[in-house]
Amino acid sequence: MARYGMALNYKNCINCRACESACKEENGVLLLPDHYRIWVGVKEAEGQFPNISIASQTYHPSQCQHCDNAPCQQVCPTNATYYGEGGMVMVDPTKCILCTYCINACPYDARYVDNRTNTVDKCTFCSDTRLANGETTTACQATCPTKVRVFGDLDDPNSEISLLLANKEYRQVKEHLGTKPKLFYIL
Amino acid sequence: MQTLSLKKLFNFEKTPLNVVMAVTTVALLAAFMAGAVAYILHGHHVYNVTRQHPWGLLIAMYVFFVVSSTGLCIISSIGHVFGIPEFQQIGKRAIAGAIITISSGFAVIGLEIGHPMTMLIYNVLTPGLTSAIWWMGTLYGLYLTFICLEFFFLAIKVNHTFSKLFGICGLLVGLAAHSNLGAVFGFLVSRPSANGVFYPVYFILSAMITGCYLIFLMYGFRYKMNFPEKVSVMLVKLSKILGMLLAVLIFFEAWKIITALYGDMPERAETILHAVKHPNFWFGELILGMLIPFTIILLSNAKAIKATVYASISGMVGIFFMRYDLVHDTLLYPMTTLKRSEYQVAPTFVEYFPSAAEFAIGFGGIGLALFLYYVADKVFNLDETTQH
Repeated sequence: MARYGMALNYKNCINCRACESACKEENGVLLLPDHYRIWVGVKEAEGQFPNISIASQTYHPSQCQHCDNAPCQQVCPTNATYYGEGGMVMVDPTKCILCTYCINACPYDARYVDNRTNTVDKCTFCSDTRLANGETTTACQATCPTKVRVFGDLDDPNSEISLLLANKEYRQVKEHLGTKPKLFYIL
Repeated sequence: MQTLSLKKLFNFEKTPLNVVMAVTTVALLAAFMAGAVAYILHGHHVYNVTRQHPWGLLIAMYVFFVVSSTGLCIISSIGHVFGIPEFQQIGKRAIAGAIITISSGFAVIGLEIGHPMTMLIYNVLTPGLTSAIWWMGTLYGLYLTFICLEFFFLAIKVNHTFSKLFGICGLLVGLAAHSNLGAVFGFLVSRPSANGVFYPVYFILSAMITGCYLIFLMYGFRYKMNFPEKVSVMLVKLSKILGMLLAVLIFFEAWKIITALYGDMPERAETILHAVKHPNFWFGELILGMLIPFTIILLSNAKAIKATVYASISGMVGIFFMRYDLVHDTLLYPMTTLKRSEYQVAPTFVEYFPSAAEFAIGFGGIGLALFLYYVADKVFNLDETTQH
């Protein structure tokens, strides 16, 4: 059984936000405040003018980390949040009661309330819009002009992501919380 | 139980205090209705909760009400569960108060949970056993059943054996439910300022203090400060218990803050420092909620029961701030500190102020509780009866 994750060559990111647009288009995310499944965080340049370190300004594409030990799944009172196929953290809107406990519990700010269904929504790695149709990439990956994102099966030793992680150093976000996130930032 | 006509039900002695209470109750009830209508029409858009601050005043008020309910249940159990004679007189009034406050809490949370009917269905069909909310909600449902049965055997079909039996069940389940409510916050690994054992324990302590404040307020209003000897004796003893509980609470809070600040641990230290510098904490929680009542009890050697009734008003305002800060302080620290666009300032502490609808529903819940208490006081004899 596959276990999907994503590696991010975040130093290649040029903050064009094509990934954000592609995600909204592909998954029908509404154009409203708070409605975003993925985003690009901007780390500001360090130093004071004129000694500003240009190299210190970096962009950090982010989204749901699809944790192996997801706090949002543990706290859900109706099991509306569940581990789907490929270890992806999914939300079943028919069971979601909108208590928003999962939004509180998520250490990554990855969840929001969808205005149409009035339930919690989040990144699904395009499982229903692309993977279900036989695609092997997510919308954010497919559109990225600098090839920041590599999506694939972490349990397949020959997948592109496994080879990348085997050969490169990487870091994860807030891994000290024990969430076992599946987004890997290549250093 | 008395049979009443509507005319009799709404007929009361027109003293200034009674009229003020009646007007306040009606105004708050109207606010609750208005808030409920706004929510039904517009959903969560009428609330100021956001992705970064998903819980707000309504969760705080829900906690406020269920803390009140559990507190009244615990304090009432001193008499009719543990058999301390002086406290047996408060049984019916306190349990009626416990039923009323938790019902008001459910009314408020019913307007916060997006899909309450789905909750009733899937709480049973696909229970999330690792969720503190599931345990809290389920145990509170059971608790309400037990205390309703307890009240039935206390006030309607008097049977002391059954009332004691259901009283013990209600107490145990209430304690479990309430500490699970603390765990709802304590289990949040993503929020270092809340994560840990503190809240599940602190909730029980603060519930007992809330119960004491409410008993003082209910008896102060019931006897218009002219307490019979028997009631005075009980209230002096209750005042001593309250003083001791407040001392323990101050001790707990002090160590919670010192531990949080010590070592300057990222996220936790700055969140708590930000919280304790806010007037909500030092004025609301500390001065109103703890120091004023504690000082009065300490200086009067717990004998100034009239002053303690007034201090209980201050105490309950403080308890409100404790509940509000519990929610707000837990959510203060942003979960992502990177800015999301080039032209925004990097996120700092998350800001939140309740909307008019949240105020209307949250404080309107108090009106609901006051109205139900008025009806309960009219329909049932909440004073101690000879059979009891």
